[in-house]
Amino acid sequence: MVKFYIDGKEVVANRGETILQVARREGIYIPTMCYLSKVKPIESCRLCVVEVEGVEGFVLSCQTPATPDARITTDSKELYEHRQNIMKLYDVNHPLECGVCDKSGECDLQNKNLEFRVDSQEFSARDQYRPIQDWNYLQYDPSLCILCEKCVHVCNEVIGDDAIEIEYGGYKSRIIPKDAETLDCTWCGECVAVCPVGAFISKDFKYSANAWELDRIPAACAHCSASCHLYYETKHSSIENPEPKIYRVKNEFEFETLCGAGRFGFDFENREAKKDEEAFKRAIEAFKRADTIKFTSFITNEEALLLQKMKERFGYRLVNDEARAYQRFLENFSQYSGKSLYTPSLYDIEDSDFIILMGSFISSDNPAVRYAMTVSQKRHRSEIVNFHPVEDDLLKPVVTKFVKHEVGSEEAALSMLVDILCDEDAKKRAGKEWLESFDIGYLSAESNIGEEEIEDILKRLKMKKRRGAKRFTLILGEDLYTHPRAENLAKLAGLVDRFSEFDVMLIPPKTNTLGVALICDLDEEEGEFSIGYNQKGDFTLSALGDGDLDMPALNQQEGTFTNIDRRVVPTNVALPYEGYVLNDIAKELGVSDKEYTIEYTKELPKEKGYKEIEFDELDNEFLNDGTEKRGYELEIKKVNLSRKNIEPIEELPEFNGTVIYRCEPVLQFSPFTNKAHQLRTKGKLYASETFLNDLGLKEGDKVNIQKDNITISIEVERDGFIASGAYLGRFDKNIDTESLFKDYRFTEVKIQKV
Amino acid sequence: MNGLEQFKDRNVSQNYYRVKIEPYPKTPWERFKRVVRRSLRLELFVGLKITLMEMLRFKIHTIQYPKEKLPISPRYRAVHKLLRLLESGNERCIGCGLCEKICISNCIRIDTRPDENGRKIPTEYTINFGRCIFCGYCAEVCPELAIVHGQDYEHASEQRAQFALKEDMLTPLDKLKEQKEYPGFGAPTPAADKLIKKTPLAY
Ligand code: SF4
Ligand code: SF4
Ligand code: SF4
Ligand code: SF4
Ligand code: SF4
Ligand code: FES
Repeated sequence: MVKFYIDGKEVVANRGETILQVARREGIYIPTMCYLSKVKPIESCRLCVVEVEGVEGFVLSCQTPATPDARITTDSKELYEHRQNIMKLYDVNHPLECGVCDKSGECDLQNKNLEFRVDSQEFSARDQYRPIQDWNYLQYDPSLCILCEKCVHVCNEVIGDDAIEIEYGGYKSRIIPKDAETLDCTWCGECVAVCPVGAFISKDFKYSANAWELDRIPAACAHCSASCHLYYETKHSSIENPEPKIYRVKNEFEFETLCGAGRFGFDFENREAKKDEEAFKRAIEAFKRADTIKFTSFITNEEALLLQKMKERFGYRLVNDEARAYQRFLENFSQYSGKSLYTPSLYDIEDSDFIILMGSFISSDNPAVRYAMTVSQKRHRSEIVNFHPVEDDLLKPVVTKFVKHEVGSEEAALSMLVDILCDEDAKKRAGKEWLESFDIGYLSAESNIGEEEIEDILKRLKMKKRRGAKRFTLILGEDLYTHPRAENLAKLAGLVDRFSEFDVMLIPPKTNTLGVALICDLDEEEGEFSIGYNQKGDFTLSALGDGDLDMPALNQQEGTFTNIDRRVVPTNVALPYEGYVLNDIAKELGVSDKEYTIEYTKELPKEKGYKEIEFDELDNEFLNDGTEKRGYELEIKKVNLSRKNIEPIEELPEFNGTVIYRCEPVLQFSPFTNKAHQLRTKGKLYASETFLNDLGLKEGDKVNIQKDNITISIEVERDGFIASGAYLGRFDKNIDTESLFKDYRFTEVKIQKV
Repeated sequence: MNGLEQFKDRNVSQNYYRVKIEPYPKTPWERFKRVVRRSLRLELFVGLKITLMEMLRFKIHTIQYPKEKLPISPRYRAVHKLLRLLESGNERCIGCGLCEKICISNCIRIDTRPDENGRKIPTEYTINFGRCIFCGYCAEVCPELAIVHGQDYEHASEQRAQFALKEDMLTPLDKLKEQKEYPGFGAPTPAADKLIKKTPLAY
């Protein structure tokens, strides 16, 4: 804690806080052009200068921590002139095209020119030919670029793609793809978000609307369990069509980060839906007949509660395999960790010094976790170990140690971790059978994880601890929840959480898996007649517009999600919806007596950690210092520990022949992302170079994938982001991936070229 | 008083004189008497006589509207026009949306997109003349002198909402030669050249 004064106001800095950070937190304005809260100070603009009493010259407030009792002035005649001169330099050769520029109205250069009253150009420099670059979803105009470097830093320090860099050359300087002819990255669009001028723009949005015309609707991203905060920006579709349309998605880029699916996959609404009374009647009939409701986790907490209420009333079986697997995993985990939920949040990952990731293809499973890991690595050089059978090249800049193991040997890997991370107590707790079955030689041979690799991890861990590491996180993913030995894996994870300094995070696989797992009593088996909600059933309710009764998509609904941070976050209606909603059905069935679905927000189960707060009372914003004020965090309850011993490690399963993985390509999560016009694509078999070579295939080939009596004909595409293996996604609803992968995310198949 | 002085004098009652008004009839009988009096005096024909004499003398002062029209001031704000660049014939509007934003009756709407050369163009431009109050803000704010007020003030319509589309307002290409530079609202003043500071060039 350092006490000092800014413009006479007494302020207090926390450890390591810079003058600028304190000023922003306190609401004191210091102009900046290159400062971006979520990356290290870039120091390219020098606009943030301040005067410190007794110090010669100006001081850069963005990188200088305060000294006790310093007296700081943020504005004076000299400072004004200094800043004005900087702005004059920025304007040299800057095209006078505010009239058409996408950034106009929210442009930092425009604003600061106005602030420092620069209305003429006194210097000149020879203009250079710097043509506009067209990069897939993005477009870059070097003549508008002020070379603040925010885009480069965010790509490197937060995203981890490290795809762009500055090519220096005086007035010729510009941003170029790093070590490549053209840009090939994960298209998060974060460079567009942080660009203070109109240099980096989204090609789809280009020239379609002006900043001031758009309505901003704060919402939560509906695609993955990070449920990132975002704004849908809407306007009438065109002169002929006054219906609102989403033009783009923006985010609070100073503090949080979106992936490309969130940014570009926004128009997945159920457009044509109307109140079809006939269909509604049929739906009610179907509900009266049905004994099962099958659904996915792309629903709100309130809808989940409605389903649960229906179950309580009519005894439906609620079937949601993915959430059920997660629910069971969480339950088993709780019984051995003693907590009802996992503890780490994305912020904790950012702060972690040592991270172990297992069972997740993180760049597409949950980009927010990937970004948090990147931040931890770049900010304080954390150690990141990734256990996975598929080598993800996207993680190369971030992961410090990659351990490739055999498909199916997660139990061996986690056991080996328990062995090195936990003390004797934990092993005693695991029980004699488990200890006896723990034969490191066998496990190492079968899983292909060398003993020396485990020793190396231990060495790195000790090194980190010696350097004062404080936070350790073990992140587990969907591979484990779907694993045949999931129960034991969950228990082992519980032990790690309880007996080691590692906190365990269990990534919820889909948007609201955590919410569904907490709110609904899920069943294993389907009955005779099923209602499908966003799933194929005997009667299908669908927000994709392809079912028997339309439902609103998640950008047409208000409600809450329970996200990966265990936070209940609100989302709002961006687009109108005219059809029926689940609450209408519940009302008709006599289950619901409320007019609006959000009236259930305060009724979410308290015993699971939810709070009795009205939807309209939920916060949804970030404070000046980056504090996230969205909804509330679930309370973690104490859970009675199980006394049962952990089962001995089973013989590791063998996967022979051709094995493929189930995951989505980057930018896809579900049929909803695939409905968005910018992301729409046909599902393929995505294969690494090595996989293609092994099978004698090349890009564009048609193949038949065979398993048991299921055959899928599909085209092959090379995925340059993976170094081994191949995968199929579920985002293309025309491809029946589901039946190939019964539960575990890897499966043996036969692949034949046709 | 001359020049602007006369406008500064707020004493508006100075040149007034009182009209003598006979007392209003109070009872129905009085009212009846007035009607009879006025009818029998044939006052109507006094007026008609003047009209008739003027007509016979062919000293007609009225404008033969709609055959004849008075010239109106260039600063008059009638139905809008969209202008083209005189040299190239390109549309002047760059689709910046400022007119749409400033319009206080919210009656302008434009659709924009990049054209095949990557430049911003307004694909459609509409004004709802049923709502336009002809304030001239749009012409004043336009940085390109693209939307201007024309001289055509006749826009009676059967509908309350009468829309003009881009093709109704845009100078047709074959009439480009007849297009005049607009001197009205928002146009540069004659002295504008003197006020412009030139940007130094490096070559
Ligand atoms: S980047 Fe900003 S200053 Fe430059 S043309 Fe665009 S709006 Fe104007
Ligand atoms: S889109 Fe994302 S990954 Fe690609 S260059 Fe921009 S910041 Fe980097
Ligand atoms: S493209 Fe934008 S963010 Fe990147 S250096 Fe240029 S101005 Fe800065
Ligand atoms: S004249 Fe005034 S009311 Fe009419 S379109 Fe222009 S700005 Fe709008
Ligand atoms: S202000 Fe002028 S240039 Fe801009 S959109 Fe309107 S008419 Fe076009
Ligand atoms: S904000 Fe400090 S140098 Fe740019």
